[in-house]
Amino acid sequence: MPAKLPAETIAGSHMDALLLRSLQGYLRDTFGPTVWQAICRRAALTIETFEPMMRYDRGMADRVAKHAAETLGRPVESVWEDMGTYLVTNPGHEGVRRLLRFGGIGFVDFLHSLEEMPGRARLAMPELELPEVILTEIGPDRFELRCRSKVAGFPRVLVGILTAMADDYGTLCLIEPDGGERISVRILDSRHGAARSFDLAMPER
Amino acid sequence: MPQASCRIGADGLARLMPMHLLLDSDGRVNSIGPTLARVLGDAPVIGALFQDLFEVRSPGGAITAEDVLSRAGHRFRLVPRNGSRVGLRGLGLRVDDKVLLNLTFGIDLIAAVREFALSDADFAATDLAMELLYLAEANAAVTRELRGLNLRLEGARLQAEEEAMTDPLTGLRNRRAADLLLERFCSTRTPFGLLQMDLDYFKKVNDTLGHAAGDFVLEAVGKILREQLRSEDCAARVGGDEFVIIVTNRTEPETLQGIADRIIAKVSQPMDYEGQSCTVSASIGIVRSVDLVNPDSAQLLAAADRALYAAKHAGRSRALLLVDQTS
Repeated sequence: MPAKLPAETIAGSHMDALLLRSLQGYLRDTFGPTVWQAICRRAALTIETFEPMMRYDRGMADRVAKHAAETLGRPVESVWEDMGTYLVTNPGHEGVRRLLRFGGIGFVDFLHSLEEMPGRARLAMPELELPEVILTEIGPDRFELRCRSKVAGFPRVLVGILTAMADDYGTLCLIEPDGGERISVRILDSRHGAARSFDLAMPER
Repeated sequence: MPQASCRIGADGLARLMPMHLLLDSDGRVNSIGPTLARVLGDAPVIGALFQDLFEVRSPGGAITAEDVLSRAGHRFRLVPRNGSRVGLRGLGLRVDDKVLLNLTFGIDLIAAVREFALSDADFAATDLAMELLYLAEANAAVTRELRGLNLRLEGARLQAEEEAMTDPLTGLRNRRAADLLLERFCSTRTPFGLLQMDLDYFKKVNDTLGHAAGDFVLEAVGKILREQLRSEDCAARVGGDEFVIIVTNRTEPETLQGIADRIIAKVSQPMDYEGQSCTVSASIGIVRSVDLVNPDSAQLLAAADRALYAAKHAGRSRALLLVDQTS
């Protein structure tokens, strides 16, 4: 059956659309289509497929994540974090990792580039409003990120992304969310492992 | 007027302008930026003549760096002579008795990054190369998503269209589909035979065995019609027990009569519904598009209806071809 698109796709949030599509990908790939269907039913959704280029009601992503957490019997924070990590590490989303790696040659450069993230996103899609991220250097190898988002789960998505990117850069660090909009990052060893290779040339398809 | 000036060493020059070329007064290379050196490859560059390394594409007619500087008001374009297809754009300046050229890949950046396996460290921090590469990939990603969305929407549209043309019970086409096809065939003057079919004794099945049995009979008739017709023909359920059959490119009376008789024979065989036998039959009125000077779907349907009525009147379970429609 073709999915019936809800009226909220006309006006609504791009950010929710991106996160809903990501949740769909993460949950379906990790736990299987049956679990995803159960989550959709539990959330009383009329659709099971989210389109990343559409818009959905503000708050819908948080709502679906909450139902996913209840279905899986896990805290919603861990659902968001794992989804963030999935976005970077899943081979099907190599494009996401590549776009993030353009942020800099090392993990610290990458952290600084997060402040540019909304501007970078607007370059590709002018109507896309990514959450504002502010980085403060507290001391040598100590940083604090503040992330203001209308999606409550977004700081946790960022934690998952940071964890995966630190690994990608071969950096050992301690990433601690405060439960709100702040995330503290302590770099323990910036040459802990070998960074995954990053070829500037776009992979040919 | 005070003049600000400073001296930059070779290392500083290489960092600020990783694609610079410093030429002496003879036009021989004095120093070269590390990224430009990668473009030129293994050939010895220091001491080589500018015109042996590069072909000037614009300004036209320029060969040496001197020519370039004296003719180009602002920018110039070069290609390396080592066979690489990557174009270079640049800006030149006389510095003391030397010539300093600063080059960039311009629009060939993406090709250059691939050809020379360049990395972040090959570009000055002020260079927008990384942003350009980022933008190209982000754009490709957005385009890919949009293409995917278009395909998915198109699939949903086709499916919705298919459903809007289908009778859900029998899987045959519906009245809308039959009307559209009739209009099309009439306007393109495609010859066809039109069969209007009505089930006989169907009401009896419904009344004695219930609607589920009636639905079972309709489904069975749908199956018979699909089996008896070719893929280019069209069978539609247009009412409770009324069917319209369009036989494409067939107007010979005996062919159409043969099809109709076969359908009636099949439909008339007793059907077994949950151990109960239901027997129906069918009457069919046949008309041909070629019997009208100007084929018109409404006229043809009306004529087919008259033919059907005549068939029923003649004792049911039979097919009747009405030839003279204009009367």
